[in-house]
Amino acid sequence: MLNLILPYSNLNIMKKTFFILLILCGLGKFASAQDFPFGTVSEDEMNIKKYGNDTSAHAVVLREFGDARIGLVTGENIRLIFEYHVKIKIIDNKGFDNGTVELQAYNYNEDADSYEQIEEITGVTYYKDDNGATQKIELDNSKIYPVKEGKNLVFYKFTMPGIRSGCVIEYKYRKISPYFNNFQTWYFQSDIPKVYSEYQAHIPAYFRYNISKKGSLKLSKNTATVEQKCLMIASGGGTSDQGADCSLFNYAMNDIPALVNEDYMTAPKNFLAAINFELTDYTNPYSDATIKEARQWKDVDYTIKNDIGFGDQLKKKSLFKDRLVPVLAGKTDELSKAKAVYTYIQQLFKWDKASGKYTEYGISKSLDKHTGNDADINLSLVNALNAAGLTASAVMLSTREHGTINSLYPALNDFNYVVARLDIGNQNYLLDATDPLLSFGLLPFRCLNDKGRVFSPDKPSYFMDINPPQKEKSTQTLDFTLQEDGKITGTLVNYATGYDAYKKRTEIKKFNSTDEYVEDLNGKSPRVKVLKSDISNIDSLEQPLIEKYELEMNATDKMNVGDLTFNPFFWNRIKDNPFKLAERSYPVDLGMPSDERLTLTMHLPANYTVEKPPQIVAIGMPDNGGKFIISYEQGEHSFSFSYTFQLNKPVYDQGEYPYLKELYNKIIQSEKAEIVFKKK
Amino acid sequence: MMRSIIIIFCLLAACLLANAQQNYDATLIPKELLHYASAVIRDKQESVEVQALDNTIYHIKEAVTILNKNGDGLAHIVIAHDKSTVIKYVKGAIYNEFGKQTGKFNEGNFDDYSAWDGFSLFTDTRVKYYYPSVTQYPYTVVFEYELRLKQTLDFPQWEPVTNFGVAVEKSIYTFSCNKDFNIRYKENNFTGVFGMDKNSSGLKTYTWRTENLKAVKDEPLSPYYKNYLPAVEIASEKFSYYGINGSYTNWKELGKWNYDNLLANRRGLPAETIEHIKELTKDIPDPKLKTKKIYEYMQAKTHYISVQVGIGGYQPFLASDVDKQNYGDCKALVNYTQALLKAVNIDSYYCVVQAGRQYKVSLQPDFASMQQGDHVILCIPFKNDTTWADCTSETIPFGYLGAFTDDRTVLAVTPEGGKLMQTPKYTAKANLKSRKANFFINEAGELSGSMVTTFKGASYEYRDELINEPRNQQAKMLQRIYPVNNLDVEGFDLKQDKSFDPVTTENLKLHARDYASLADGKYYFMLNPVNRMDEPPRQVRNRLNSVYINRGYTDLDEVTYTIPTGYHLEKVPLNVSIDKPFGKFKATMELKGNQLIYERKLELIDGTYGRDTYQDLVDFYQEIVDADDYTVALIKT
Repeated sequence: MLNLILPYSNLNIMKKTFFILLILCGLGKFASAQDFPFGTVSEDEMNIKKYGNDTSAHAVVLREFGDARIGLVTGENIRLIFEYHVKIKIIDNKGFDNGTVELQAYNYNEDADSYEQIEEITGVTYYKDDNGATQKIELDNSKIYPVKEGKNLVFYKFTMPGIRSGCVIEYKYRKISPYFNNFQTWYFQSDIPKVYSEYQAHIPAYFRYNISKKGSLKLSKNTATVEQKCLMIASGGGTSDQGADCSLFNYAMNDIPALVNEDYMTAPKNFLAAINFELTDYTNPYSDATIKEARQWKDVDYTIKNDIGFGDQLKKKSLFKDRLVPVLAGKTDELSKAKAVYTYIQQLFKWDKASGKYTEYGISKSLDKHTGNDADINLSLVNALNAAGLTASAVMLSTREHGTINSLYPALNDFNYVVARLDIGNQNYLLDATDPLLSFGLLPFRCLNDKGRVFSPDKPSYFMDINPPQKEKSTQTLDFTLQEDGKITGTLVNYATGYDAYKKRTEIKKFNSTDEYVEDLNGKSPRVKVLKSDISNIDSLEQPLIEKYELEMNATDKMNVGDLTFNPFFWNRIKDNPFKLAERSYPVDLGMPSDERLTLTMHLPANYTVEKPPQIVAIGMPDNGGKFIISYEQGEHSFSFSYTFQLNKPVYDQGEYPYLKELYNKIIQSEKAEIVFKKK
Repeated sequence: MMRSIIIIFCLLAACLLANAQQNYDATLIPKELLHYASAVIRDKQESVEVQALDNTIYHIKEAVTILNKNGDGLAHIVIAHDKSTVIKYVKGAIYNEFGKQTGKFNEGNFDDYSAWDGFSLFTDTRVKYYYPSVTQYPYTVVFEYELRLKQTLDFPQWEPVTNFGVAVEKSIYTFSCNKDFNIRYKENNFTGVFGMDKNSSGLKTYTWRTENLKAVKDEPLSPYYKNYLPAVEIASEKFSYYGINGSYTNWKELGKWNYDNLLANRRGLPAETIEHIKELTKDIPDPKLKTKKIYEYMQAKTHYISVQVGIGGYQPFLASDVDKQNYGDCKALVNYTQALLKAVNIDSYYCVVQAGRQYKVSLQPDFASMQQGDHVILCIPFKNDTTWADCTSETIPFGYLGAFTDDRTVLAVTPEGGKLMQTPKYTAKANLKSRKANFFINEAGELSGSMVTTFKGASYEYRDELINEPRNQQAKMLQRIYPVNNLDVEGFDLKQDKSFDPVTTENLKLHARDYASLADGKYYFMLNPVNRMDEPPRQVRNRLNSVYINRGYTDLDEVTYTIPTGYHLEKVPLNVSIDKPFGKFKATMELKGNQLIYERKLELIDGTYGRDTYQDLVDFYQEIVDADDYTVALIKT
């Protein structure tokens, strides 16, 4: 289990011993919402058999309340204090998982100021005993297991006691964190439905956050009031205390449906109803200094450019100067220089599979270790490209499973990955060196998401779309001859380019040699014999991957009826429609367009004819979204057959879904049909 | 004089050895070891030295050359440790393909994690790991570490071949102990050199050594790896474990120690629970039905949560704890059920088993040791009717083990000691999936109708994941189970008869548009609608392993299609019949008026067959694939 958590930058607010004057920002009435009482359950709650709004639910959140405040803890340190309280009805045994809880605390360094703490975990389960009376059983402290994972994470794990179908569980805890820039996002929606979910956030005037609502569900409560003297700061000399006022935000939702996962969708998070907080700036109450965290991109640029895990790392050109001398030897034009540098960095590092917008080790250390996260590797690439005299910048983005990026204001939490951008003349390239099999200019699938923010040391940052001109593309050419004895022999040539070539290479590299790959291929289809094979450009990533096979197979007379049959899709027939649902709630996100073609020429002996030719098909999706074509042409002693399947869009919306589904339907039907030969 | 010669000789030998060890040039690997290899273990030396009952030193030094990225895993150093296993030191170095050292590492480079096994809430085992990161192949990693084991019950076994695709140039295992320390050992598939000797500190030594083992290919349908790869297991007569001493030389004695130290006195229950159980069963005279009632009470009350703590994870939670918390792992739930049964004076056994659906693995009757088995089930020795139960499932019927623990040797841990027992077997005939379908195909090519499928024996569990799922979810899952395009589920019903001979019955009402395609006045559709075999197992060149079929089964399909009137068959009807030692297949069709009747029977017989059988088996499957791919062509009369 790798640590995928980013090191937050720690905003360390320590008490300073001089007097400060507080500016109170307006007055208003105290209007704090109340948490619901802990430790009671109603007869109605116990008697729920099914949740009316979603009878398929195995569990339902009856009520949930969260309270996040910025306040003082021991030692006069200001901390983010988050309290969580939930009551869940467990309807049947498939809902038992909701009774097992894992809470995560992040401890960046060994020093106490970067520690997150989780405390006062209490829980109770209510159930009906054999006589129908409601009983309760409390969570035993000794059955809460703290588990340290790696250097930075602690998980508190527990299972609620006495769980059975029909029970109600209730638990709460408090989390204390020094990471103000990671103000608790509140997810109204989860994989089980909720009756009511409420959140309140107390934000002292020292702090300013951009608050945004995500998802399409409506809030049933949305208020902002002022709470007086919510944060008391001891003044210098200890003579009197000063208090700051808080903005008090209160949000709630009723009857929240569960989020259902579907295939080919990007991060479910993109669709979840949530309230997100992004710290923009704050004033240190002890020093009165205003520290801008992220208000506008120009402020963010400043923060980012001075971040030890990002901006600082963009200034490491000198680490690469000497290393690049042999790499660049003999390279004159910019593009060949860039390609050489890219290959060099790809081969220099082994990605540790962690993603982050900040470096994990820093470039210098990861150069020693030959490993690092995406930022370590791709910021190295940016530096190396710049060291080679090229113009490169870093692009922060969000991977597909991490969700989309807010473009209204800078929300750094939305980003979790870094790639390099190279500019040569008017042409730009996006590069990711974490995978040694990616060809120049190709991004891995995980990165194909929305847009990215481009950073370079000397220019303001800007957004760019992440839509590199990449596709999955393959072309197969088959030249076959039907022999008198019913055998079919001939050659098959497959050209794969773009992402398809990458996938093929990855597949081949799973074997120790191409011989083993071909042996496996041969083993997979007993009816087809590979007589000879030649695979070229496995390591020349810039070239199409070419597979040439000399094949022999029996045009099978499967059922002893005298006719021979042949299916042109003998190697990779689509048998199953990936889209089965009648309707779709979210767009189908395939990441990139695809283009697949097959051309077959079949030579026939004089005494054979085609008894049953394939059906000619031509179907297109609206708006040139995709097409599927089968054509067939009869010659004198031969025929030719061709097949084209294109999906031209990376994303299809719900309206296009039925067409996509139907396109696959037709493909499956067509690919099933066999060509039948008959002896004259 | 003699003496000094010996010393010189020894020194020389040591020098030679040292030199030989240090040349990690990848080109020195014998050519024949490179076939199918992604890594080669150049030199692996493991030693176990028992210094005292509670003090065993395990030392390993290993040099492994990684040939390509598929072998990277072999360079990952992962060391499990817990309260009774202390890492004394660990260090290592990395060499490039020419054998030149390019880096070094030590304990500071390691990360420490909780050993998450994928299902436990908590386990107190931890792992330290380090993944060297080298991008140029081949490279060699040489590492060395020492563990202090505060016990003598669970010695590291010797398995020189641990992965597919890894060749072994040299691997040595040495066990040393005092001359009066008795051990038993068991060699499996070992073909190397074994020797006993005395070392310089007067300890007796046992040494196993093997050389030049070629990389093993992963061949489909192979037996359990322990049945063909070399291994040596060691167990001592006297031992100490978490401060508890004991001795054993057979299963009876080991079982006795287990009972006395890990199980005895953990079955106490609150008086009210005992009363409740008595009350619950007071009207049931038959002990087996009584037990069923109690088992079902336990199933309804508890659920499975794995928490591995305490004495090596071998001791169950107190029954009273489970009574209160309602959860436990397999040990805790069996122990709890035993406690409940005890309340009505029904005796039962706590049985240790090696669980798994892919292979049936038995405890070795001729070699007792603590490492064998990874799961606990319950046995109730009714007179002439020994009954078994798994206590970790909330849904399976009482008396049903299923494919997870059937047909294998297990250890019953009783107050009198351990005894080996055999769990019941579900035979090829008993594992029956039988289906009758009545379908209609209309003029437009739409399929509709209903089918009833029953599942028995090990197949009883086939639909478990659908139980309790909401209708729309079930429909989605059925679309994945049944390969009918455009499948639309109109009605679905699942019944489970939880008697002693349990049966699952599935009723499905469906329709699917475009099932048949129409062209030039002809109809085409797949004869076998829902139970097609998609592809045969892959062919293997020069197969080495015998063919192992873990589980036999019987599939019976009978489908009647009512088709539009006025059509006749264009092709000869399907009629296939194959009879092999490992299986039988028969598929026929017949058109009577507008009724097309399709019958298919497949029987696969479990067992181990010679390696030459493999191609025969592939052909058998291929013929089934072809028959299942039969397309009906109907032509207007």
